[in-house]
Amino acid sequence: MDLDRQNRSSGARATLGAARLHRRQLLQSALAGSAALAVGLRAPAVLGQAKQFAGVTLQGASFASTFFGYLENYIPEFEEATGMKVNFETNAFPVFNQRTDLELSTQGSALDVINVTFIYSGRWIGAGWVENLKPYLEDPNLTPDDWDPQDFVGGTMASLSDANGDPYGFPWEAGAMIMAAARADLLEQKGLGLPTTFDELMNVCDQTKGMERVAPFTADKLHHWNWIPYLMGFGGTVFKDPPANLTPTWDTPQAAEAADFYGRLLSEYGPPGVLSFTDDQAMQSQKTGRANMRTQAITWMVPLAKDPDSRVKDTVRYGLVPSGPSGAFPGSNSHGFGIPVGSKNKEAAWEFIKWAVGKQTTLRMLEQHGYPSICRRSIIDTELFKETLTLNGQDVASLYLEVLELGGKGGYMKYRTVPQFPQVGDKLNKAIEKVATGQATGLEAMAEAQAEAVADLKKSGVQIDAG
Amino acid sequence: MSTSTDYHSHLKWQRFWLHALVIVLVLLVMFPFVWLLIMSFKTIDDIFAWPPKWLFVPTLENYTGLWEGDFPKSFANSLIVSVGSTAIAILLGVPGAYALSRMDMGKSNQLSILILASRMAPPIAFTIPYFLAYRYIGLLDSRLGLIIIYLTFNLSLVVWLMRSFFDATPRALEEAAWIDGASLWQSFVKIILPLSGPGLAATAILCFLYSWNDFFFALILTRTEATTAPVAIVNFMNYEGWAWGKIAAGGAMVMLPVLVFSFLVRRFLIQGMTAGAIKG
Repeated sequence: MDLDRQNRSSGARATLGAARLHRRQLLQSALAGSAALAVGLRAPAVLGQAKQFAGVTLQGASFASTFFGYLENYIPEFEEATGMKVNFETNAFPVFNQRTDLELSTQGSALDVINVTFIYSGRWIGAGWVENLKPYLEDPNLTPDDWDPQDFVGGTMASLSDANGDPYGFPWEAGAMIMAAARADLLEQKGLGLPTTFDELMNVCDQTKGMERVAPFTADKLHHWNWIPYLMGFGGTVFKDPPANLTPTWDTPQAAEAADFYGRLLSEYGPPGVLSFTDDQAMQSQKTGRANMRTQAITWMVPLAKDPDSRVKDTVRYGLVPSGPSGAFPGSNSHGFGIPVGSKNKEAAWEFIKWAVGKQTTLRMLEQHGYPSICRRSIIDTELFKETLTLNGQDVASLYLEVLELGGKGGYMKYRTVPQFPQVGDKLNKAIEKVATGQATGLEAMAEAQAEAVADLKKSGVQIDAG
Repeated sequence: MSTSTDYHSHLKWQRFWLHALVIVLVLLVMFPFVWLLIMSFKTIDDIFAWPPKWLFVPTLENYTGLWEGDFPKSFANSLIVSVGSTAIAILLGVPGAYALSRMDMGKSNQLSILILASRMAPPIAFTIPYFLAYRYIGLLDSRLGLIIIYLTFNLSLVVWLMRSFFDATPRALEEAAWIDGASLWQSFVKIILPLSGPGLAATAILCFLYSWNDFFFALILTRTEATTAPVAIVNFMNYEGWAWGKIAAGGAMVMLPVLVFSFLVRRFLIQGMTAGAIKG
């Protein structure tokens, strides 16, 4: 009993001591803070809060990607530094999107930090389901100056910002569409270089057809992504003026010409079964040397030179997407971290985002894993990044940056971030399939797709121009 | 004599062509499954080889890769959820079907229609209400939650299928048992149920198949803990590439319990499926 009282008494003294110490520290901190303010300095973001988020469990979700495979190795350090526990689940692309769309649309609080998927960004940001991150950036207690949000390449932020330029996410992955010729040696045998225009592309396909049983061109079946650079290259557009005017513009001579051109690439120069190819199958057709040229995001092109089992490591060459009469419009996209409005741990989520796409973590990803889809210019400009993206002796880093900047400046990728695009994009897939299989001409297929898209958009309440 | 030989020869040819047709049909039906099975034993190079390789060195790497990840947990979830919902549906539904079959109330038909109501709308119609309710009561991402969902669909199936079996069973058998002193429960358990074996097997397998193959509800109502095998297989479709070998191995593993179960009860299944087919 006495022992117990003694313990309690010494405990109380210790508590009082700690309290005195705490007050003393507090006074010192206050004085230091006042002094700092007096000389115009800003208090550090985590002053005196070494384990600011102790006890917080952060729930994160994204689609599975190599990025998260690398990131999960660093998460224990982040947990140790902040005190929070991170549960980050990754699923297949369609599974994640479906679950998150439902979670966000019902204003759930199950998730604190999510990937803002490129094709859903317009829907999620437009509907107000994702937090505006501008106040977090402007609060010096939440974001230090050197975090530098301007460091993200313009094109990577386009889909993660609203019309006012307010950010709703920060990217961890960027995709830039380029061209790769897996068997560039076949082109060289014919005295040809990588095509830079649509005419040259058709000519190269024509001249290399039948050589060593390699199909000159390959693609996956997501035509509403792959075909758009051709549509725009011929002078066409997807919508009249996205996001303000979503009237489809597919029943035009330009769209018909682009559909005929692309349909011919697939039907005359594609490998058997090309119309049913997934992304992976198209990549495999190049990696195994069964097909030659493809225009697609860099993610699918790097393995041609880097995968140990690639058979085209020594013959692959890279270039920009060929330009049409109206110019070059390579696709670009990005996926970034955002915070659902229903989250109950928003500050912890922001701390995670700052860390996950901060300069230090990004550089580490590059140094330790050669991660190629970097979104921070300060890292892209390093020699290390150039080395990483020097593929088969070719500087692909500069192609990557060029495409990302182009996407940011031109604003031509806005069509893809409007909430209705996934819905009408399927009509484009169907139209291209019809053209490639000879069921319809470009003009017929695009007119039909236009009519179907207009009907769908009207049903969902979108204002469509008459005529 | 000659006519008889011609007739036999004609019959022989007819039988030959019929058998040939059956074999072609079986090959056509089985081809995707056989292709999947073969693919599951191929390396990624062999999977994408062109022209397709029929002779190759088989590998178990896809299966070992499968079992080193989260797939075993998802497979166990599928088994628990499917067996659980089937067993509960049979336990609750069979006595219900018997009661509906034997009761003399004029409203029994309306009651049966009401029971079937849960299958009258497409599952997607219930998605949001289920999701919100489950989130509210904390049943999201739980095996119990999935069992309850599948039960709502399976119960009506059990009641409807088993009721038709009980209707076809003569009441005289029960009445004879009652005369011999059996109780209602005894006549049900000892007379009617054994006679309904084929029907029970067919119903159970249909319930099991519905739960086992479901993708949609498992996709929406689970996260990480209660993920079932069909959803786990889709998780091999990664952003940067699809793990075709694992997808094929996973598909083969998912088919396995259904094949084994169907094989074990195939005699009952055929009887159950054809029961009443020639009823006038």
